[in-house]
Amino acid sequence: MSGALDIATAVLLVAGGFFCIVGGVGLHRFSEFYQRTHAASVTDTAGAGLMLLGLMLQGGLSMVTLKLLLVLAFLLFSSPAIAHALVKAAHGHGLALELEIEDERGGDGDAAG
Amino acid sequence: MRLGVLLLLAAVWLALSGPYTLDGWLIPVFGLVSVAFVWRLYLALERAAGGGFEFFRAAAWLRLPRFLVSFAVKVAAANVHVTKLILSPRIELHPRLRRVTASQKTSFGQVLYANFITLTPGTITLDLRDDELLVYALDAESEADVMDGSMDRDVLRIEGGSN
Repeated sequence: MSGALDIATAVLLVAGGFFCIVGGVGLHRFSEFYQRTHAASVTDTAGAGLMLLGLMLQGGLSMVTLKLLLVLAFLLFSSPAIAHALVKAAHGHGLALELEIEDERGGDGDAAG
Repeated sequence: MRLGVLLLLAAVWLALSGPYTLDGWLIPVFGLVSVAFVWRLYLALERAAGGGFEFFRAAAWLRLPRFLVSFAVKVAAANVHVTKLILSPRIELHPRLRRVTASQKTSFGQVLYANFITLTPGTITLDLRDDELLVYALDAESEADVMDGSMDRDVLRIEGGSN
């Protein structure tokens, strides 16, 4: 029983680690600022999420699991806020987006001036 | 309502770091101070937002599990897609910027929707003005996740409370 749990935890931790590395690789391989933020969000969601899930399996129904759930919840609120603040600041200060398609009025912005 | 927030904060503090015996006075005092401080922050936020979020509407909590499952499935699919993009030998991106209408009526719902989009790898919310989101997507497939409106509907379903 605990053997199966341990295996599940191991799988989740390794999978989470894999996505963390993928996020890091993407951060380097993508070519510009806005694209790189997307790679970072792989680490934030899949990487951290799977690792926390794996740790929760070890915690069982306990205070530890509650704390891990809260960590996950705070992460899911803070990481998009941070990502949004980053790209909005970059966009607002006129860092150009490399775009193939753009809605009319799309990238404009009084902000971009 | 505000008292509810106070009780919630106290419960969270007790769960996270609470003393389960009352043999010292320092830790409980720290707890009181920190709960009072965060409550004060909440009241300031509530004033700034022009109203509070209703944490205690049972209806919204009942719909939460379904929302979370849908959220997890979409974020997982987007993660797989972006992982493929990152690991492909030649990175081919077709970045695009789209205007998307957020049909949520409350600012809470709109923020939740914008965060949902940002949290999904492949799409990110650049700006939110009135009820229009400026969404930056890596390619057509990422864009489709937002443009098909399913996230919008998910958030609409969970949206409750006021303001």
